Amino acid sequence: MRRDGLIVVAIWAVLTAIGEFAVVTWSMLPEGYAREADVVNEAYLLLLILAVPVFTFMLSMLGYSAVRFRSAGQPHDDGPPIHGSPKVVAAWLAITGGLTLGVVINPGFVGLADIRGSSSADMVVEVEGQRWIWKATYENGGLAEDELVVPIDTRIRFDVTSADVVHSFWIPAFGMKIDAVPGRTTEMFVTTERVGSFAEDGNLRAQCAELCGLSHSQMAMPVRVVERAEFEVWLENLPRDETGTEEGA
Amino acid sequence: MRPLIQAIKGGIGGYLIGALVTWAIQGSGSMSDPVPVTFGVIFGLIGWLMGIGVWNVWAREWFGLPPKHQVASDWRRYFQFSTDHKVIGVQYLVTFITVLLVGGLMAMVIRLELAGAGEGFIAEDTYNKVMSMHGILMVAVAVAGILGSFGNYLVPLMIGARDMAFPRINALSFWLIPPVAVTLLSAPLIGSFEAGWTAYPPLSVIAPGDGQLLFNLGVIAFGLSSILGGLNILTTVATMRAPGMSWGRLPIFVWAAFAASLISVLFTQFFAASLVLIHLDRIAGTTFFGAAAGGDALLFEHLFWFYSHPAVYIMVLPAFGVALEVITHFSRKPLFAYKAVVGAFLTIVGLSAIVWAHHMFTSGMASYLHAPFMALTEAISIPTGVVFLAAIGTMWRGRIWFATPLLLAAGWVFNFMIGGLTGLFHADVATDIQLHDTYFVVAHFHFTIIGGSIFGLLAGTFYWFPKITGRMYHERLGKVFAVWVTLGLNLTFLPMFWVGVNGMNRRIAVYPEELEAVNRFISFAALFLACGFLLFVGNLLWSARRGEKAPDNPWNASTLEWMLPSPPPEHNFPLLPEIVGHPYGYGLPESRHAELAAAGGE
Repeated sequence: MRRDGLIVVAIWAVLTAIGEFAVVTWSMLPEGYAREADVVNEAYLLLLILAVPVFTFMLSMLGYSAVRFRSAGQPHDDGPPIHGSPKVVAAWLAITGGLTLGVVINPGFVGLADIRGSSSADMVVEVEGQRWIWKATYENGGLAEDELVVPIDTRIRFDVTSADVVHSFWIPAFGMKIDAVPGRTTEMFVTTERVGSFAEDGNLRAQCAELCGLSHSQMAMPVRVVERAEFEVWLENLPRDETGTEEGA
Repeated sequence: MRPLIQAIKGGIGGYLIGALVTWAIQGSGSMSDPVPVTFGVIFGLIGWLMGIGVWNVWAREWFGLPPKHQVASDWRRYFQFSTDHKVIGVQYLVTFITVLLVGGLMAMVIRLELAGAGEGFIAEDTYNKVMSMHGILMVAVAVAGILGSFGNYLVPLMIGARDMAFPRINALSFWLIPPVAVTLLSAPLIGSFEAGWTAYPPLSVIAPGDGQLLFNLGVIAFGLSSILGGLNILTTVATMRAPGMSWGRLPIFVWAAFAASLISVLFTQFFAASLVLIHLDRIAGTTFFGAAAGGDALLFEHLFWFYSHPAVYIMVLPAFGVALEVITHFSRKPLFAYKAVVGAFLTIVGLSAIVWAHHMFTSGMASYLHAPFMALTEAISIPTGVVFLAAIGTMWRGRIWFATPLLLAAGWVFNFMIGGLTGLFHADVATDIQLHDTYFVVAHFHFTIIGGSIFGLLAGTFYWFPKITGRMYHERLGKVFAVWVTLGLNLTFLPMFWVGVNGMNRRIAVYPEELEAVNRFISFAALFLACGFLLFVGNLLWSARRGEKAPDNPWNASTLEWMLPSPPPEHNFPLLPEIVGHPYGYGLPESRHAELAAAGGE
């Protein structure tokens, strides 16, 4: 029986090596345009790296048992009367408990603190969701409805609310989303770090991620990250929001 | 069939009375206004229940009249208010397999639309309705599929009881289901049913038309059925165990059903209450969720998830029980770490109450809640890990017989492991902020719910099929099916993780074009998965009529239900059995679980 154990450990080691190699080299992660997206990707990768040995252990045990302890047809005898050993259970609890604690700390608490970052911002954009469009108002009163443009290397706070139902303001390329809730203002901090536009990367869009009725699918606004100077020019040319209040929903 | 006809008459009559009277009191408007519809549905439900047998079998007693019991012993008993737990178990099983297939057809419509990136096959509002309906139907299958069918059929058999503790409540909890199905299925037909099964306000409050009303009422009635069913299982296990059946000798499926029932009884009312509030916002002008008048949409999300996260464990715990039961008997070894597994089940029940807000990391709730809910959620992986330990520990050094039930139970281990591990990405705040409401979560919960719950339902269906029908299913077809669905599930849902990570959100009919190729592949894989179910249904239908006669104990399994004839007689045990040992005495030839007393005089 010790031999069985050693073989499983060997299979496990090989599968884990392959798995970790695959996870690290063959990342499925899209490129981020904000610091927050990098935090997400880092946490994601760390969780994958931690999940691989767990997965391969179960797979090795399951696969090896299926081959080694398989009975051709209905078995005529029983396996050994092992009801389990307190030591194995205790060891298992210690290992899974330790792993869980590890995940809670990192990427858990570490990632949480990291993705929140500081609560100060270089600029504030007010965002309102209304079925099925986004409206972004800049600090100078400029109102953007067709495209959300933000400068690079800037910490931006989005103050998000909704005029009708619950929406969710999600910019996949920034790795962040926050619900737009009627009667509340929710905050989302993003620190831009790469230039790009929706035309180049479909993830640079402000997509509604919370079901909001008929045209929920199409509630998206292109996002563009530009150099500071370009942003200033764009902002100057933005029409001001002079209506003040919107018509009722 | 007479009770069924009376029930339909009662349902229609009740609806008309309820709607007409309220309409008359209201004094204006039309019969299709929200208030008449609401009272129509409520009285229709009462009329249906009275017609199907509540009046004859039960309510007559309240007025001093002798009850009229139905006596059919042929196939007609399945269409009556039967109080036999085995009849009710079969009623649940057939009903929910049917609902599973209907929900699956809706998934096919969804995948047909998503085979192309643009607006294609169906309009957006139809898409929203189909998607919402698919959601609520499948949630219902997962909540009641195993608990209603095997919970009812097997818990009394496995603990040595002659029936459930409350047979009439048991029949009532089943007969609530058909009108619930009619109510839910007609919701999209009468318009505006688009808020998903999650029914977040204000969308669910402001959507015009009466579809949302029917959804609310249907789900509330379903919740009632779920609570009554749970109460029945709890009471049965607590009070009706045969002599010698101590808590430590309960088969693991009974423990699983017990734990899941605890959750049903403790939490279902929160979902019902939240829908009552939505209903009142719609019909009575209250503003529980209307921000302009001081209401709060987040309140609903808290109430909703306070039930709907524990509900996940109502779905998977019974499947844990089925899978471990099957793995034990087909490995011919005692269940590994039985006591630790029971402890794990109860820990899961406890933890399920304090993790709900991990569904709300991006909702705008107070941010100090993020860290504790993340930690508590991740802590659930510890008791769940014990269940996995039991599965592999039991198989290790066993004599593993790869019959269909075991293949499906092994599939359960594999698929639910993927579901569990990908759950980490949603418990972790940093990754969840990005992945919440994307196809990553769609893939994750399909692995947990199909892999974790439906695979249990499938494994149990094959495992207990000989006991229930008295005939064997077709083994080779069964094996092909088991491999087919496992493959189909993985081909369909693994790529969804990728599209989720790459920016596709859920509940959309139109999506970015660069994701079209993978989505088309997913659609084909989903079709492949769905076709597998033809094998399942064909096998069961054919075998129920033509299958080989099943012996009492085709698996040579050790628990009590296999000591009875297949199918078991009406009152199960002529005399109560005596339980003399552990349920899984494999490997010890002298070990016995129970002694059946011979019928009197023999």
